Amino acid sequence: MSKPLLFMICSLFLVAGLMYWLFNNDRSTGRPIIQNKSQPNPTEGTKSGESEIILLCAASNQSVIEQIRKQYEEETGRRVSVQYGNSQSLLAQLEISKRGDLYLPADDSFLDNAKGKKLIEEVIPIATMPIGLVVKRGNPKSIKSLADLQRSDVRLVQADPEAAAVTKVARSILEKSGQWESIKAATRAFRSTVTEVATDVQIAAADVGIVYSPVLVPFPELAFVPIAEFESGISQVSLGIISSTKQPAAALHFARYIAASDRGLKSYQQQGFTIGAGDLWSDLPELTIYAGSMLRPAIEDSIIAFETREGVKVSRSYNGCGILVAQMKAGQIPDAYFACDTEFMSQVTDLFPEATEVSQNELVIMIPKGNPHKIASLRDLTKPGLRVGIGHEKQCAMGWITQNTFRESGLQQELMSNVTVQTPTGDMLVNQLRTGSLDAAVAYLSNAAGAVEFLDAVEIQGIPCSTATQPWSVAKNSKYPLLADRLFQRICSAESQDVFEAEGFQWQLGTKKLNLPKATATQSTNAQSTTEAAAGAKE
Amino acid sequence: MKTLRQNHARQVRDGIFFLVMGGLSSSFIALIILLLIADFTFTSIAEFRTALSKPEIQAAFRLTMASCTVAAIMSVWVAVPLGYILSRYRFFGHRLIDTIVDIPIVLPPLVLGLSLLILFHQPFPFSNWIGKGFVLDEFLRETLHFPVSYSWPAVILAQFTVSCAFAVRTMRVTFDQIDSRAEDVARTLGCSRAGAFLRIALPQATRGMITAGTIAWARALGEFGPILVFAGSTRFRTEVLSTTVFLELSVGQLDAAVAVSLLMVAMAVIVLVLLRAIGAGLNG
Amino acid sequence: MIEVQNLTVRQGSFTLPKVSFRVERGQYAVLMGKSGTGKTTILEAICGLRKISGGNIQIDDVDVTNWSPADRNAGYMPQDLALFPTLNVRENLEFALDIRWTSRKKRDERVAFLANMLGLEHLLKRRVQGLSGGEAQRVALGRALSFEPSALLLDEPLSALDAITRSTSQKLLKDINHQTGVTVLHVTHSQDEADALADVCIRLPEITPPKS
Repeated sequence: MSKPLLFMICSLFLVAGLMYWLFNNDRSTGRPIIQNKSQPNPTEGTKSGESEIILLCAASNQSVIEQIRKQYEEETGRRVSVQYGNSQSLLAQLEISKRGDLYLPADDSFLDNAKGKKLIEEVIPIATMPIGLVVKRGNPKSIKSLADLQRSDVRLVQADPEAAAVTKVARSILEKSGQWESIKAATRAFRSTVTEVATDVQIAAADVGIVYSPVLVPFPELAFVPIAEFESGISQVSLGIISSTKQPAAALHFARYIAASDRGLKSYQQQGFTIGAGDLWSDLPELTIYAGSMLRPAIEDSIIAFETREGVKVSRSYNGCGILVAQMKAGQIPDAYFACDTEFMSQVTDLFPEATEVSQNELVIMIPKGNPHKIASLRDLTKPGLRVGIGHEKQCAMGWITQNTFRESGLQQELMSNVTVQTPTGDMLVNQLRTGSLDAAVAYLSNAAGAVEFLDAVEIQGIPCSTATQPWSVAKNSKYPLLADRLFQRICSAESQDVFEAEGFQWQLGTKKLNLPKATATQSTNAQSTTEAAAGAKE
Repeated sequence: MKTLRQNHARQVRDGIFFLVMGGLSSSFIALIILLLIADFTFTSIAEFRTALSKPEIQAAFRLTMASCTVAAIMSVWVAVPLGYILSRYRFFGHRLIDTIVDIPIVLPPLVLGLSLLILFHQPFPFSNWIGKGFVLDEFLRETLHFPVSYSWPAVILAQFTVSCAFAVRTMRVTFDQIDSRAEDVARTLGCSRAGAFLRIALPQATRGMITAGTIAWARALGEFGPILVFAGSTRFRTEVLSTTVFLELSVGQLDAAVAVSLLMVAMAVIVLVLLRAIGAGLNG
Repeated sequence: MIEVQNLTVRQGSFTLPKVSFRVERGQYAVLMGKSGTGKTTILEAICGLRKISGGNIQIDDVDVTNWSPADRNAGYMPQDLALFPTLNVRENLEFALDIRWTSRKKRDERVAFLANMLGLEHLLKRRVQGLSGGEAQRVALGRALSFEPSALLLDEPLSALDAITRSTSQKLLKDINHQTGVTVLHVTHSQDEADALADVCIRLPEITPPKS
């Protein structure tokens, strides 16, 4: 046996041994790759050995994310592995490999880009960071303004404008004032990340750089100098959920931790970022939604999908709006309210300062299939002997709108004399029509749309107030405003819109407006209906 | 009759010769020594110790040792037959193969890493007839339960790709220098080609194999670009010492970065000395 | 016996024109010709180490033209000896027997015989790098004879030796030829050697460079 052959055989054993060690080593650091099962209960997921979350994070956020990550791993026992780099190369890696669960670039322009390429689903705002200059502590060269950057004794470095967010933002500001070219000419070198810029100033390879202020947290010998021209230079740091993630609930669990005002956001604030509002942290948050009962077929599926994706609980109460408002006034306040009509939203302005109109639903006359009583308009409902069902004026928006409609038609008294029953929801009217205890009912188009096999619907023409507009609002004291917003975004998604339309609603998304109480003309009716509704609720 | 005389002019010329040769050589040696001294004085023993006690760095150290060794051994395993074939046989496509083997050496490291990433994550070329195409990484992960990218095999693969190229070069030269006559005679004595290779050529190549292994190990140690792009630099997972320096630098921990750099210098020196001793020992 | 018929070898720009000769069993043949006439090429072709482009080769009346060198049973001693550098003298001598899985007993016997015949007993443990010219020669000879070949092919075996060693070696070669009866083909450019050793002398014609 020749020596080298012996050599080679020994080396084979060595390789086998090392690979075995590597394999086990990988396993024991707690990261086995096991096929992911769907998680009905997210907290149980940690014990079933799910694989870890991968976060692609911009270098400028490294210090703060490391702090948050350690906290998260200690608190929840779930593992997160983070890859740091500059925003652009992380995005490129994501495009090619499609591996990763979360993406945190230094500026949300990258997220817009990624969303455009369909790489990102949800976006959660985290914090903002201002741009400014970095110099050695004590500012030995007295660099205080943009003009100082162009001095011949001052060496300026920046991060690469195509790769790092900080220079992108600086450039867009300076291009507007026409100063970019001269600053670019004065730049000695372009580094690949903003941290390298700080490092250069630290080891005195440069005198000044353009950075985000939080980047300087691990550099006690450096100082931040804000300058007037960069006042508008604020980067929004937002977290994106990657579309191809195989563990959306786990990814969102960590995302919520980062965005929680009593967890991740605190770290951000400590490290010099400016934070906005955030949700409170909860391992398994429970969102409460109040919605008019007619909205159930339109939003129920979206809400269930949302629950699964986020790994949270959403408890929903569908009822007549009058009843819901009474509950709210009695102190049971949900995180969000999706009302049947703006009328009822305007009764709780103190709880819901802003609202967004989402859809419209019109009143129709529902009749049994075949229209045996030959009803073609509201007037036909006044035929003697007809049994008509309507919504209760105080219990639901539908009832309230019905009264307005009757009033507008000038036939209120005649119509009311044929009304045999007033229910709190349209579904009950549908049931009664089907069982034959009613000849006709006035309800929403969406109610009719849900029962097309048994019912027909007749349009009510010429009366504009017969259309209800559904607004959505998030409570101002909600613990989870961002979560509620994401639910709203889900409700506004294309698939959800299709569902609304199929259920008989008209999609009419408006902008967020102030939720004002109704004007005095209807105030007396309001006051009356609210107190009566409250009285009704107490019974 | 000519009397003998010393030619002083020639002596002076000889002196100048030594000066120039010595001067050029020592300037390079001096540069390296100055670099090391600069690094040493930047950090202190205490910082060195704290940096090395961090569990991330210890994990990176272990992974580095394991992956470099595996990559080096694999490189030698591949380089020996490849070097032998390139040295001994002339065949159609010889020059082409020769060039291909040198590609990883001239390719910028990031290009190598990017190419590996693309190879593993995009559908294989010409595989469009299999559904959405054959994606290597998916196949390895789901079917064979052996994930490669962003995991330790990726580190080894990235290191191997470059270090093998160097190892092949070395082994090729080694076999070029070994007289093929002896193998010819062995064959006339009744040996098969394999026998001649194993009994005659290979024993003469031990020195070369050690050199190839050393070069491969050193190259693997220094590999950074491809590992960063293809394997990521996740702490405790795919972080090797070369990427540690990058990570520490990117957080602004210059002291830790320098400490790890010095650690790598020490490792390299120890391994070089060790392997050279083994080589000398083997040759008696 | 060794016979070549119409042997042609083409290598690059060098062409060996048709060569034919025959050496009877047990004969000592000397192949002569000026340098560059292709003598080494012919020996290599007979061994099987060189591809030929025409003709055939016979050893012991068997056509071995397409056979691998390992089967031809011909001992080859190249001009530069090519001893195995990582093996000692004994290992060089027993190499051919080792390949053939000969029993230890037979191997030791054969090595002892060769060492005796060639005066190598005191050198058996020596590394090949430490041998003198003549000693190395004898080791190479012993190696070529170790497996009792039918033919012994020697390429200028004596040209690197001093006068005294040369004459002892000539005697040795002749003795081997008589004792073992092996057919010898000895390449040289020295007339004196041919006169001293040859039973048969084969002269190669001049090779005229091809007209362009």
